[in-house]
Amino acid sequence: MLLIRPLQENDLDALYAMAQGAGKGLTTLPADRELLQKKINHTRETFNQRCAPEAGLYLFALEDTELKRCVGISGIQARVGLDEVFYNYRLSVTVNASRELGVHVRTPTLHLSNDMTDTTEICSLLLSGSHRGGGAGLLLSRCRFMYLDDFRKHFSEKVFAEMRGVSDGNGQSPLWDALGSQFFDMEFSEADILSGLGNKSFIAELMPKYPIYLPMLPDAARAVIGRVHENTAPALKMLQAEGFNFNGMVDIFDGGPVVEAFIHNIRTVREGINRHVMIRKKPLDMNVPAEDQVMISNGSFRDFRVTTIPAGCIELDTVSIPAEVAEALEVESGDRVRLAPLKDTGRR
Amino acid sequence: MWLVRPAQPGDLKDILDIAGGQGPRMSSTLPKKEEALSLKIDQSARSFAGKNSAGEAKRFLFVLEDTDTGKVLGVSGIDARAGNGQPFYNYRKDALIHASHELGVSRRVEVLYPSHALTDHTLLCSFTIKPELRGTDAFELLSRARMLFIAAHRHLFTDHTVVEIQGVQTESGEVPFWDSLGRHFFNMDFETADQYSGMLSKTFIAELMPPNPIYVTLLSKAAQQALGQPHEQTRATFALLQHEGFQGGCYLDIFDAGPVLEARTDALKSVVTSHPKILHAANTDDGEMCLISGGENDGFRCTLTPLTESLADEVKVPLKTWKCLGISSGDEVRITPL
Repeated sequence: MLLIRPLQENDLDALYAMAQGAGKGLTTLPADRELLQKKINHTRETFNQRCAPEAGLYLFALEDTELKRCVGISGIQARVGLDEVFYNYRLSVTVNASRELGVHVRTPTLHLSNDMTDTTEICSLLLSGSHRGGGAGLLLSRCRFMYLDDFRKHFSEKVFAEMRGVSDGNGQSPLWDALGSQFFDMEFSEADILSGLGNKSFIAELMPKYPIYLPMLPDAARAVIGRVHENTAPALKMLQAEGFNFNGMVDIFDGGPVVEAFIHNIRTVREGINRHVMIRKKPLDMNVPAEDQVMISNGSFRDFRVTTIPAGCIELDTVSIPAEVAEALEVESGDRVRLAPLKDTGRR
Repeated sequence: MWLVRPAQPGDLKDILDIAGGQGPRMSSTLPKKEEALSLKIDQSARSFAGKNSAGEAKRFLFVLEDTDTGKVLGVSGIDARAGNGQPFYNYRKDALIHASHELGVSRRVEVLYPSHALTDHTLLCSFTIKPELRGTDAFELLSRARMLFIAAHRHLFTDHTVVEIQGVQTESGEVPFWDSLGRHFFNMDFETADQYSGMLSKTFIAELMPPNPIYVTLLSKAAQQALGQPHEQTRATFALLQHEGFQGGCYLDIFDAGPVLEARTDALKSVVTSHPKILHAANTDDGEMCLISGGENDGFRCTLTPLTESLADEVKVPLKTWKCLGISSGDEVRITPL
């Protein structure tokens, strides 16, 4: 069984192994034991409500209950930009026109912006190679929307995700090479690592503050603004299916897009239903395709748990689940649970 | 003899001839269209005569005449107030230090800021001369006659004087700075923009110029190298003006990034050295060649003369110089060495 639960103290080794396997490009989870330990501590404080709600970092682990090991992670940062400055570029347009000369020129322009400040970010998604496919990634990502909806007062109305931008096999980013590196003498991969270690706002402070007119950048750099890395395309598609849209913001380093949605508009939230648990005695074939699975969550703030069950378990007022699922979710007969489709089936 | 005098309506054909024979930028503020040029000459005549209509800018246009043939072979000008009542555009090259204490990094970042700071400063402009005269005494006369005019009519001009020098342009006519910046916003080639700026009001610059500062590092390499560099062909002008006391500062032309030279008007060499003296006749044609000017307002004339004798308050120059300047014994003149 694949089970979502809050990240625990003893997940450090698994987390470190995953971060090592992830390679370049995953800035939010560097393979650094000390830093990962800090994140675990922060997450523990958050779930135990020992830190201010706006400082919260909610990291969820995907546990393979057979292996008894964490095989994936995903996160929610309650607010960005409160103890450091959070930068993006806003992709906008400057129009210069002269009626006298009949000239009307539109110039795409990047404006440095802190507009995402005080907004909730979904972040840190990472899944072991061994568990890709079969809906594990969907569960890891979408379980967060159930959590966001259950505990709305801890989050902003709008949530966003920064998508990884284009870089090549050698870790070279066309936008960084044309822009960032002109102001900060460093390779993209190095800057990226520094960002992951928590130095992003320091680097950002070295970046240009005045607007950047895109025609002054080389074609290769312009072409990647607002575009995602090919490995990130599936994640983008998944978020788009949830109702997330490009909001005109891009990453200041690699030009990757920011997508956002209001929590109440997220598909998983809109299609969520509540049922009472009924523990069934009849055996159940849990092995169904992702299309026929639904996520089921216990709705607990401190010990949030989500797994998937066949959609056929849902009845009019109840959902009948095997004892081991109830046990994993820490629920009993009569408890209320939240259910939502795992996969976008195209139903509306 | 070479004579510099105020431009007159009859000079129109000759001036058109000179302006038309120049490369694209050599005539920056000199219109090539007959009608526009005619208006400019009229405005100059009113400025010399002190008969400007209310609110009209004082713009002076001088010509270099070969008195033997009566042909006009060069033009130079002064705008009493740069911009002539409208904003005068430049880029100001400035620097920011991008530093991070935490990362131990400090980096100098050069930025071009749009600026109107030179608006209303006295501007030397419209300098155009037949190519074969470049670098000659006549060339120096045409340029420096303006400084003598300023010295004799100091109250018309401001404490600072500026002059724009043509920037880098390749032999095939490309302007690297324009191609890297202006072209994207004005959507026209350099020559067209340059002509508009000579012909039209400057409103189109305000409308089309990018409103935000420009990072130098994002310009093409060729454009970066062109910043503040004078055009090859302006070397003689550049040297002459430097000798006058003009210096390049942080201001650049918005179209081609040519340097804008600046000087304190009262520190200009010709202004400092040209004390008014009383004219007397000399019997010989010997002596050191000097610039000499006389006459006021539309009677202003300037030529080259051998200086036979110079006393504290008096000078002796040959009679033909008198004739050329249209003045006579006892009149006040200004004289300065070549």
